[in-house]
Amino acid sequence: MSEQLETVRSQGNAAPARQGILDADVHPVPAGPDEVRAYMDMPWRERFAGEKRTFYLPVHGTGRKDAVPPAGGPPGSDPSFMRAQLLEEYGVAHAILICRTFCNIHPDADYAAAIASAHNRWLAERWLEQHNGDGAFKGSITVAQQDPQLAAAEIDRWAGHPHMVQVTMDSGARAPFGQRFYHPIYEACERHRLPLALHPGTEGMGINHQPSPGYPSHYIEWHTNMALSFQAHLTSLLCEGVFERFPGLRVVFVEGGIAWLAPLMWRLDSHWRSLRPEVPWVRRRPSEYLPEHVRLTTQPLERPERDEDLLALMEMMDAERLLMFSSDYPHWDFDSPRRAFPRLPPRLHEAIFSANARAFYDLPG
Amino acid sequence: MSVHVLGPAAELPPGSRRIVEVAGRSIGVFNAGGRYYALRNACPHQGAPLCLGRVGGTTAPGAPGEYRWERDGEILRCPWHGWEFELPTGRSVFDPDGTHVRCYPVTAEGGVLLLHL
Repeated sequence: MSEQLETVRSQGNAAPARQGILDADVHPVPAGPDEVRAYMDMPWRERFAGEKRTFYLPVHGTGRKDAVPPAGGPPGSDPSFMRAQLLEEYGVAHAILICRTFCNIHPDADYAAAIASAHNRWLAERWLEQHNGDGAFKGSITVAQQDPQLAAAEIDRWAGHPHMVQVTMDSGARAPFGQRFYHPIYEACERHRLPLALHPGTEGMGINHQPSPGYPSHYIEWHTNMALSFQAHLTSLLCEGVFERFPGLRVVFVEGGIAWLAPLMWRLDSHWRSLRPEVPWVRRRPSEYLPEHVRLTTQPLERPERDEDLLALMEMMDAERLLMFSSDYPHWDFDSPRRAFPRLPPRLHEAIFSANARAFYDLPG
Repeated sequence: MSVHVLGPAAELPPGSRRIVEVAGRSIGVFNAGGRYYALRNACPHQGAPLCLGRVGGTTAPGAPGEYRWERDGEILRCPWHGWEFELPTGRSVFDPDGTHVRCYPVTAEGGVLLLHL
């Protein structure tokens, strides 16, 4: 363990509590594959080329064009510039950092685990230990789900880090997340009281299934359909009884929309009344598990023509308990904390922009 | 109406742009193929610095399967969400009548660029 980390650890969370909003989905980006490779051992160091999703890309590029740091490099690659353009600009007290590693597209589980591991080391050193004296940056432990035992070991390795606040994995998958194959990951999350954040982006890529029937032709379709993947995973987690088996497990659905939640729960709750005998371990109405176990982040927020429609939907989905603001900085579909939302009632605003995430991640204001 | 001197026209060659602060407003001034345009540097969607976006063309609305590239050099694309606006009119491509950004005339007189607010 580095000397720097020892210092961070001895300070613990002694840095004074930070006032402001919380942003639950922010992406730190390596300047290039070499930055990550530096944290890899052989044989992976020689092999890694920064592989990403190679199709389903927005016509205008993945990053915000005005987020290229002054000294160059991709958007999101300079911690100081991110602080200026996001944290200071919008009064963000804590940014929850999620690396986009694309590690779960690979058929080789060892290679995938090595990619996840190197990104965790890079994140810890470059973003959480340097440039973070005030503790504004909080990190996510990336795991590759191809081998859940390796993923659990990775969680064990990082869980004690004072600035790692959750585990994250991609929602692109070979099987829905309620299935037993994944249990070691949930066991490790529960053991360390760390939430698990699911993030889309590898649906239909590499070894992962596409959540729609076949491959849509265009990015606009694929991106809209991100909500399909989340619906399938949430239904699976609830029906397989994952929250009965792991009562301490909490899951965050990041960047897959919010408008689908209420109608999906109506449908599942209705079915449960008739079909419960098939899944007797589901002891409560499925939607009753949500407040204790599930959160959703807001970006990209659906905006119907009438603001009242969105406010009504938020009411139906229990947004005051379940929603956490996210911007997705520095990606092209960034949601501005000032402009992405209609005017919210003050209590709801406080819940979404601060209170919910502070309680969820235990970051008092 | 007020007129603001922007400086020598030679300092804004074709294909270039400048962001200026005039009367408390951030405005992007463009030279697109010898024609001058000025637009408010704030996207009506979420307030992004619109005039930092790429200037190029776009695919014209047409029949399914048809791609027709048009208005090359006249379309400004927001650096955040990619909303497209016409440089000459400030009107958006997806909703020309309902969604637009304020634009201002720019003239070159005696080799000097003038912005008319």
